[in-house]
Amino acid sequence: MVTIRSVSATVELVNVSKTFGSVDALAPLDLTVEPGEILTLLGPSGCGKTTLLRLMAGLVPPSTGTITVDGVSPAKARAEKRIGFIPQTPALLPWRSVRANASLLLEINRRNSPSHPSSDVDELLEAVGLTDFADAHPHQLSGGMQQRVGLVRAFALDSPLLLMDEPFAALDEITRTEMRHLLTRLRAPHGATVVFVTHSISEAAYLSDRVAVLSPRPGRVTSMEVIDLERPRLPEVEDSPRFFETTTRLRHALGGTA
Amino acid sequence: MKLARSIIAPVTGILVLLVVWESIVRIFDIRRFVLLAPTKIVSELADDPGAYWGNTVVTARHMIVGLSISLAIALVVGSIMAASRFIEEAAQPVLVVILVTPWVAYMTSVVIWLDFGERPIIFLVAFTSFPVFTFGVVGGMRSADPSARELLASVDASKWEVMWRLRLPSALPSIFTTARFAIALALAAAYFAEGSALEQKGLGVIGRRASLDQTTGAEVLWTTIFCTAALGIVGLAVMSVAERTLLRWHASQRT
Repeated sequence: MVTIRSVSATVELVNVSKTFGSVDALAPLDLTVEPGEILTLLGPSGCGKTTLLRLMAGLVPPSTGTITVDGVSPAKARAEKRIGFIPQTPALLPWRSVRANASLLLEINRRNSPSHPSSDVDELLEAVGLTDFADAHPHQLSGGMQQRVGLVRAFALDSPLLLMDEPFAALDEITRTEMRHLLTRLRAPHGATVVFVTHSISEAAYLSDRVAVLSPRPGRVTSMEVIDLERPRLPEVEDSPRFFETTTRLRHALGGTA
Repeated sequence: MKLARSIIAPVTGILVLLVVWESIVRIFDIRRFVLLAPTKIVSELADDPGAYWGNTVVTARHMIVGLSISLAIALVVGSIMAASRFIEEAAQPVLVVILVTPWVAYMTSVVIWLDFGERPIIFLVAFTSFPVFTFGVVGGMRSADPSARELLASVDASKWEVMWRLRLPSALPSIFTTARFAIALALAAAYFAEGSALEQKGLGVIGRRASLDQTTGAEVLWTTIFCTAALGIVGLAVMSVAERTLLRWHASQRT
């Protein structure tokens, strides 16, 4: 039987909590990620935002509650390759060329790879400006370039849900800004649902439709901020007074939790 | 320039060794069985190069077959150990016991179990070197990047896919490192086992016989030692070339 993939997934969490041993990482929470939106989980280090992302990816089981991705469990969504995961470190395999790294996830669990992806690996590499480096090895690339390969690797899957765990945290400020502009551009034609974890306020403001602000441990969503900056979001947005207002609002929302 | 240095430097080292060796033997007039001068070894070798070559080839075969078996076993045992902490902790003391038990002492028993011939030789070579290889495989596989493991899990990679795409390539650098020790062990084990297994050919066989011969024994014995060392050097050189080719991506090969 062929399951029809949605273009943008819905993620639903009902009464989900997570405890590691005696540590409460996440207090019970309900959350719905709407199809096609970019939801950012914003919070200080150790607030459980990465745990929340890993729960949605089915990499750890919840202690209570249920999680569904388009109506199925995260484990099933994972097996059907409906989730594109972008880890914090690029996690490129040093023995593989850039192109081979970018197509790694397509080669694994091949049966469930998209039969007609909207763009192939070489097109994506061109879109992120890495065509000339397709045959290079990861150690020859800068940190920003490595993480661009990580983006291509996830986008190549054409999955309806993208889960990103602070992917730009290790980069310098300039590269970081470029990366969030690039990410917006890459996702625009495709429209996948994105859950993005970060502790950067400007990243959250620029990328998101909504920002879930999390409190320190045990993590709770203390406020849900709607970001009403216009789409398509162009880099110039960051110079506008409304962007400044938005970051101020997010900073206050975060400050209220401390 | 770099290539010239990489050849000239080791050759210089070996030449200095030979000159010092020769001088010591002459100056202190050392007896043949204690230490034979390199010039004498060369003339012994020149007398009958065919015989020494033939025996060296036999010893090389024992070493290569034994090491191949040992690596194959280490890959299987090592992957199982890398997959389970319990199995690793259970297997570790067994491997250590195999590693530290003096094989010189139990070789006679091995010959009794396996009968004379090649079998006990290959067994000893494989048995002494496989713990070393196994430690290399386990350590290397465990060094696989945890983020990459998580990434593969995010698309539900099978155990086999994780092994083939991630764990095995991650283990290569440490397998190469341990291979150097394994070669040294295997060579010593092959030489000694040949002498004990009453084979017809092999450096260890003629070395053992020569050590009992008071007339020309010293020359033969020292020439077999020389050939064994040369074999080891060739083995390590082959390993270096393979490492350079296969591990171009690894930090250790980038200078």
